[in-house]
Amino acid sequence: MKKHTFRKHKLEGTDKMENAIVMKNVCKDFKILNRHEGLKGSIRDLFSRDYKTISAVKDVSLEIARGEIIGYLGPNGAGKSTTIKMMTGVLEPTSGEIMVNGLVPYKERTKNSERIGVVFGQRSQLWWSLPLIESFRLLRDIYMVPKKDYEEMLELYRSLVDIEPILHKPVRQMSLGQRTLSDILAAFLHNPAIVFLDEPTIGLDVSMKAKIRSLIQGLNAEKNTTVILTTHDMGDVDALCKRIVIIDEGKKIYDNDIEHLKSYFGSYRTLRIRHADDTWEERVIDETKEDVMDVIMKKQKEQKIKDIQLQEISTEEVIKKIYENSAASKESAAVSDVAEKKEEATV
Amino acid sequence: MNMRRHLALTRAGIMESLQYRLGTAVTLFANLIYLVLVYFLWRAIYDSAGTDVVNGMTFTDTMIYLILATALFNFLEMFVVWDMSRSIQSGKIILDLLKPMNFRTYTFWSYSGSHVVLFTLTFIPTFIVVMIVTNGAIPMGINLLYFIIATVLALIVNFSMEMIVATICLYTESTWGINIVKETIVLLLSGASIPLAFFPEMFRKVVEFLPFRAVYDIPLTILLKKNGTDTLEELLPMFGLQLAWCVILTVAGILFWNHSVRKITVNGG
Repeated sequence: MKKHTFRKHKLEGTDKMENAIVMKNVCKDFKILNRHEGLKGSIRDLFSRDYKTISAVKDVSLEIARGEIIGYLGPNGAGKSTTIKMMTGVLEPTSGEIMVNGLVPYKERTKNSERIGVVFGQRSQLWWSLPLIESFRLLRDIYMVPKKDYEEMLELYRSLVDIEPILHKPVRQMSLGQRTLSDILAAFLHNPAIVFLDEPTIGLDVSMKAKIRSLIQGLNAEKNTTVILTTHDMGDVDALCKRIVIIDEGKKIYDNDIEHLKSYFGSYRTLRIRHADDTWEERVIDETKEDVMDVIMKKQKEQKIKDIQLQEISTEEVIKKIYENSAASKESAAVSDVAEKKEEATV
Repeated sequence: MNMRRHLALTRAGIMESLQYRLGTAVTLFANLIYLVLVYFLWRAIYDSAGTDVVNGMTFTDTMIYLILATALFNFLEMFVVWDMSRSIQSGKIILDLLKPMNFRTYTFWSYSGSHVVLFTLTFIPTFIVVMIVTNGAIPMGINLLYFIIATVLALIVNFSMEMIVATICLYTESTWGINIVKETIVLLLSGASIPLAFFPEMFRKVVEFLPFRAVYDIPLTILLKKNGTDTLEELLPMFGLQLAWCVILTVAGILFWNHSVRKITVNGG
């Protein structure tokens, strides 16, 4: 089985559609009305033509190969969802090019839909009052999946997760975890080339998260499905993604291996010190700036140390640093902006 | 054309509607109350008119017409506008737009199942009751077949109107007002609340060419064989009017939607 998928992958690799997704200099601007406050403002808004343009995505270029699992990260409002909506074809880029499975998604949205699957956070595409199996049958018919392929896919599902308890349960009676699981299964049902998972593990308990991660991994391995995953849970990233892309303020700020990430922004380590009163102190140290030994010695002079631990920095810490850095640079930019304006005013 | 997708949607729609048995029962009960009100209202109108026949209709004619119009309304009533505005606000519309089917076709067939259920559970029982109570006032014959055809056309006209109003809601963001206006206009001008025969002459002449009549008045006129509508010369203009509005409203609806959906794709949901 493994061998077979590998060969299939190679065959596809030889044709010109080597990449599942190619984005070139993609930008997306939104025009929104400048709203005013208060009753007066609201009335003014009725007749207002005062629009402002917001750039949600700025000049993003990206290539995603078949079979990759990409972690697409960024703080809230960074433009992740906008990018995904452009890849699926529900949003049209303001400029730049996107090719998904060799199609321009927004021009051929319906055709593109046949070969992608989506899970959008807390929205469900399942038929609320029907048992899950009915949603599956319906999706099978809507996507024109041959009976044999459908049965095979259900077999695969059975081998990866225990679907029997949820298969005959109406979706509205499911727990959030069961519903998310079902939605992911539904997204993979027509064996799409690409699946977009927008925050699939949001609000789930630890064991359900683990289940969903291993499911995604299993499906990716068996079907060589390209997976684009946006999440705020670094556990998802660590478990699933080899490569991550980070965007902030609509700009791509990182695109590389997850291993590379830890050394990319300085070589960080976490130092944990246990004091005499058994409390732990934690500090992230940038080894390019200060030496770990110096820090320990300095601490030891101040007080007694009972224990020391030195850890590799976690992905979570690195990402946090990256977000904070970019927020800080934004703030300093804003400050200098204000300063300039003040200068102008005094002149 | 392969109907696999469409029939699958109908099937799911039927199953979904059957989940709401209680809802159907409540609808039937509400109808009963409404019809009692209609009965006394028209009883009073006929009593004060002093004649048995008003505008060419007897009291029984009027009652049969209005009862069947109500039953037809229950079955034709669609919630496209509500559902769409809700899915726009929640962002769920994206999932519908990402189905590998034309959005309009997808929407139409998603509702088809509930039409089948409501037709069977509300229209047919009402029809049978009226038939028994009036003891043969409804002619039984080929008109039943014509009625079915007219009802399918009415359904398409009604869906097209719903879709156009739903598309308007993409712009306004508020749905309630527009939908109420639409429902009132349709109910009044289609003959669903007052038979068109009661309208002033001039007004009626205009209304007869509008699409609203194609939804309720034409199917009912055909069913009840009013004004001798069993001849082809009488039937053809009515089917012609329905067909013409089907085509006009469908084309207009598609053009309007294709233009407006760009509002979503250009400026987000």
